Amino acid sequence: MADPLLEVNDLRVGFATARGMVRAVDGVSLHVMPGESLGVVGESGSGKSVTFAAVMGLVKPPGRVEGGSIRFAGRELAALTPAQWRALRGRSIAMTLQDALTALNPALTVGTQIIEVLLAHAEDLPAGWRARRSAARACAIEALRLVGIPDPVGRLDEYPHQFSGGMRQRVMIAIALSCRPRLLIADEPTTALDVTVQAQVLDLIGDLRRELGMSLVLVTHDLGVVAEHCDRVAVMYAGQVVETGPTQAVIATPHHPYTQGLLRSIPEPGREIRPIEGQVPELLGLGAQCRFLPRCAVAQPLCELPVHMDVLPGGRALRCVRARGLA
Amino acid sequence: MTAALLDVRDVVKHYAARRSLAARLLRQSRPVVQALNGVSLRIAKGETLGLIGESGCGKSTLGRAILRLVEPDSGVVAFDGVDVMALGHGALKAMRRRMQIVFQNPYASLNPRRTAAEIVAVPLVLHNLARGRALRERAVAMLETVGLSPAQADRYPHQFSGGQRQRIGIARALVLQPEFVVCDEPVSALDVSIQAQILALLDRLKRDFGLTYLFISHDIGVIGHVSDHLAVMYLGSIVEAGPAREVLRAPHHPYTAALLASVPRLAGGKRSREKLPGEPPSPLRPPSGCRFHPRCAFASEICRNVVPPARTLEGGRVVACHHLP
Repeated sequence: MADPLLEVNDLRVGFATARGMVRAVDGVSLHVMPGESLGVVGESGSGKSVTFAAVMGLVKPPGRVEGGSIRFAGRELAALTPAQWRALRGRSIAMTLQDALTALNPALTVGTQIIEVLLAHAEDLPAGWRARRSAARACAIEALRLVGIPDPVGRLDEYPHQFSGGMRQRVMIAIALSCRPRLLIADEPTTALDVTVQAQVLDLIGDLRRELGMSLVLVTHDLGVVAEHCDRVAVMYAGQVVETGPTQAVIATPHHPYTQGLLRSIPEPGREIRPIEGQVPELLGLGAQCRFLPRCAVAQPLCELPVHMDVLPGGRALRCVRARGLA
Repeated sequence: MTAALLDVRDVVKHYAARRSLAARLLRQSRPVVQALNGVSLRIAKGETLGLIGESGCGKSTLGRAILRLVEPDSGVVAFDGVDVMALGHGALKAMRRRMQIVFQNPYASLNPRRTAAEIVAVPLVLHNLARGRALRERAVAMLETVGLSPAQADRYPHQFSGGQRQRIGIARALVLQPEFVVCDEPVSALDVSIQAQILALLDRLKRDFGLTYLFISHDIGVIGHVSDHLAVMYLGSIVEAGPAREVLRAPHHPYTAALLASVPRLAGGKRSREKLPGEPPSPLRPPSGCRFHPRCAFASEICRNVVPPARTLEGGRVVACHHLP
């Protein structure tokens, strides 16, 4: 088996607050193989976005990466200097954010924002200022064409507000892909979009991934999106990965009570909804016990002890005391 | 169909949009947003009508127009045989005891300076239905009905989670014991597991109080779950309506079909998706003829020029399309 492109091990990220340290990410381990797509699913506060902010080196005070390792293409990222981070971001790993309207600079044209990235990161631009700029402009037009924006030459000189929501999301994908990264992290790329436009954007990301041979991490709250677009899935709850494995297997036979509850919470015609009672725990002052314990219908005394990730057959893993019965 | 509790006919609402300074200096006429273009629907007593559509299609405007929270330009809204449009101020207020609304955003729709019990008590005070101890008791009892404890009654909105806030919004709508409730995207702002709790709650309340819902959502999963009948809106018009199960099983309008095909399914795998090109056009400049024609794979000459009339088919299905199968 090939080496993973991205390997996160026992990652811990904390945020200092007035009431104490909030451990937003607590012992997260996951990996992405070259060319693979991983879906990361979780509700608000599950730590999914913070995990990948750490992977991008974007955790800012009062947040702090407190431990664990992040390896990209065999290289440890935790110890990188700011300059080394800048060299990596955009060129090797790129990220698109949820809200394209606030992520784009409203005062700069779309073209300026793509060209800026290319000038900072692209390796194969010719020497000489004028030649570099015109080559970058040509690349930017090509990037807009790639993401399916009609009339890319004309739209290069327009501002973000002149684009619709779906088109803005495409612009952000164009920026992220302009330097042909090996890994694209898409954080809730379609949450703000209507369903017909969401389908277009997700299909576009899938097509580009296959075309460019890129790996993809799709961070989302929508298991349906993961079911259609990801090879593997990692389910997060309260700062931890609770279940991971091939998407179809996890959805067909979810092992973790939270995954099961999440699947039963999704409304489908003609099926009764059985919601998970209670709510996500506050991350401040959590004990060592299983974090799902207060909401779990099948809890047992053992759940009061720390629960670790157990590896199961079929490429699956589970953070639940019942894993021992399944292994 | 049994006698309709709510009968909406040909409701029209156009908004005048703002002009730029240049447009005003040039004395150009104000552009018009055509939010509702002659919308008709009926809801039988005890039923849930699901209203689905993408952002900007006019579904929320319709929900508010029914309660006259926005005044329609024309059309008829008949509730239990009474023409709501013709009611004067006092009669309308009395009618609103029977018709209530739950709003989408539980963060913006609750007064941050009132406690949960005070928020739920406001409608009782406005309608002069209770005072003093009885007022508080009724408010607290209503909070318990929606799953909040009496101990939480004196907390302020910011001390509640999103799901709990939506429960307060529901309690406020139901404290007057209405017969009809407009649920305007009541679960869109919530996480999946919390969304399921609220849907289960609305389900239970409907059974316990014999409610009739107009349930507005952009989420087909949610709509399919809650609806007896459903109506699909596109750019200010209803393009298809009918029994929910039938419409979801065999959509007749190309837009309904595309909408259903766009939803990611848990069953996963690659579906053969008829991808819908483009995006909903601006309601400021709606296309001629059938408003869906620029995105429709079946569009022909007549679609570009003539607005398709709503036709009623067997089984109570209504479809507005020139190319019915």
